[in-house]
Amino acid sequence: MSRHKLYWIFQIAGWSFYGIIQLSLYSVQFQVDGLFVFGELLQITFIIAITHLFRIYILRNNWVSIKWVYLLPNFFLATLFFSIIHYCFLILVQYLIGNLNPLQDFNKFSILANMLQSMVLFWIWALLYVSFLYFERYNRSLKYEATIKDIELNNLKSQLNPHFIFNALNSIRALIDEDPVKSKVAITQLSNILRNILRTQPQELVPFSEELATVKDYLSLEGIRYEERLETIYKIDAASNYFQIPPLMLQTLVENGIKHGIAKLKNGGIIALSAKKTATGLSIQIRNSGRYEGTDVSVGGYGLSNTRKRLALIYGGKASLHIENEKEGFVLTEIIIPESIINSK
Amino acid sequence: MRAIIIDDERLARRELNNLLENYPEIEIIDEAVNADDAVEKINRLEPDLIFLDIQMPGKTGFEMLELLDKVPRVIFTTAYDEFAIKAFDVNALDYLLKPIQEDRLKDAIAKILATKGGFLPEDLPQASQELKHKLGIGDQVFVKDGDRCWFIGLKEIRLFESDGNYIKVYFNNVKPMIHKSLNALDEKLDDRSFFRASRKHIINLSWVESIETWFNGGLLVQLKGGEKVEVSRRQAARFKERMSL
Repeated sequence: MSRHKLYWIFQIAGWSFYGIIQLSLYSVQFQVDGLFVFGELLQITFIIAITHLFRIYILRNNWVSIKWVYLLPNFFLATLFFSIIHYCFLILVQYLIGNLNPLQDFNKFSILANMLQSMVLFWIWALLYVSFLYFERYNRSLKYEATIKDIELNNLKSQLNPHFIFNALNSIRALIDEDPVKSKVAITQLSNILRNILRTQPQELVPFSEELATVKDYLSLEGIRYEERLETIYKIDAASNYFQIPPLMLQTLVENGIKHGIAKLKNGGIIALSAKKTATGLSIQIRNSGRYEGTDVSVGGYGLSNTRKRLALIYGGKASLHIENEKEGFVLTEIIIPESIINSK
Repeated sequence: MRAIIIDDERLARRELNNLLENYPEIEIIDEAVNADDAVEKINRLEPDLIFLDIQMPGKTGFEMLELLDKVPRVIFTTAYDEFAIKAFDVNALDYLLKPIQEDRLKDAIAKILATKGGFLPEDLPQASQELKHKLGIGDQVFVKDGDRCWFIGLKEIRLFESDGNYIKVYFNNVKPMIHKSLNALDEKLDDRSFFRASRKHIINLSWVESIETWFNGGLLVQLKGGEKVEVSRRQAARFKERMSL
């Protein structure tokens, strides 16, 4: 159920209940006729309308974020204002149904008593409504924190890919006999990747060039494993280096390309990485041999959704990620990073 | 013991080769780079043992095993695969984690050598050249049903029962289903041990406990596991011939 619907249900049900109580109390003392019921109905409708105006006022002035010192006088003045309007309305109704008794209705004490009564009524209403807002805001902030934690955890999981690390170690172990120099380089590259993973805070941004270095280390290690089955192509605009991107995002996507593309092909394939500055920002394209099965979410599928969440958190709707099958057996993954982020840095 | 290494990475194969140099009992007769390559080489060379990587391009190690009729002893290898490792543990399969620890390798090989026999073709009593390619009671098969899998000696299997496009395989106290046709299976099984009782059943003759006459000139066979199988009239005469002295 939407919040809006919920509000209206409570609003109408609550005030109708109030009206019924009031009617039944009156019926003990007075003769309740059709006119009386009509008057009550009119009053309830008016109160619903006026408290709705009150709600708009509360939301406009953002009462949940105001300090108590400012809120209290605000609270008092607003309820006083609405009580005055309410009393004027009562007089009008009395007049319209020919029930106006100037002697009684304009009596000081009568005015005071009536005003006080409706003020208490509005206090209770406003108190309920504001505490509802508080509760909701608290709830939302909890949910938000839970989402962030979830993303962080998933990030860590997808970044620390043990399958890759152990396979790389296994290849390096064999390489030590075969090509000691190359195996030394490989160990340094693996260290770089591990260091990047361990150092990274999910919220931080890193220069594109730094991320590219990690990706190159990563692909070089996969090259040791896949040998002639993996070909890498880079086409990087020099201007790309000035952009800031979330760390290990590119690496995760390239890793996806290996895991779901190259690793599944008997004869391997190509990973091509290109980055260029466009009118809207930085366009990063990853092409890998293979085919993207949109439904294949079971195996490490959180890589993509996680990256989308990250982009949304950092750039608001301005960054984008999309993935598609291109012709000739290639999968294209494209990320657009907005330019504004450079200026803000 | 003749073994084949199956892994798509050259360096991983080389590493295992290096490690196995210390074990003269294990002779590496060939290497395979993917599932199809492996199936071809296993069927042609009939190794006693395979070292099998799980994650390979095309088909996984498990999928490859399902393609084999006769399955040699298997030691799985993987770098890290949560699902596979869970499957190994649940089903008590032998596996090695890459990079391979020498101790673990030693244990795995010792275990294989200790249980050598039983399943191996050379234990078959004087198998004729033609029968060598049939599945006899000395062979083991790989059965996978959902997450569970078994390496099971054919001598343990009491009954194959066709059920739609599947075959129910009765052994121990389980009856997993495999996706195969009973006719195709019947052609592969050694008919000295297995008998096609009817359109729906193949029984292991060594599990027969008692035989009764049944309607229409058929027979009712009771197996040691408790299953009762009807032998059709057409097969009854052949059955009597096979079971009598």
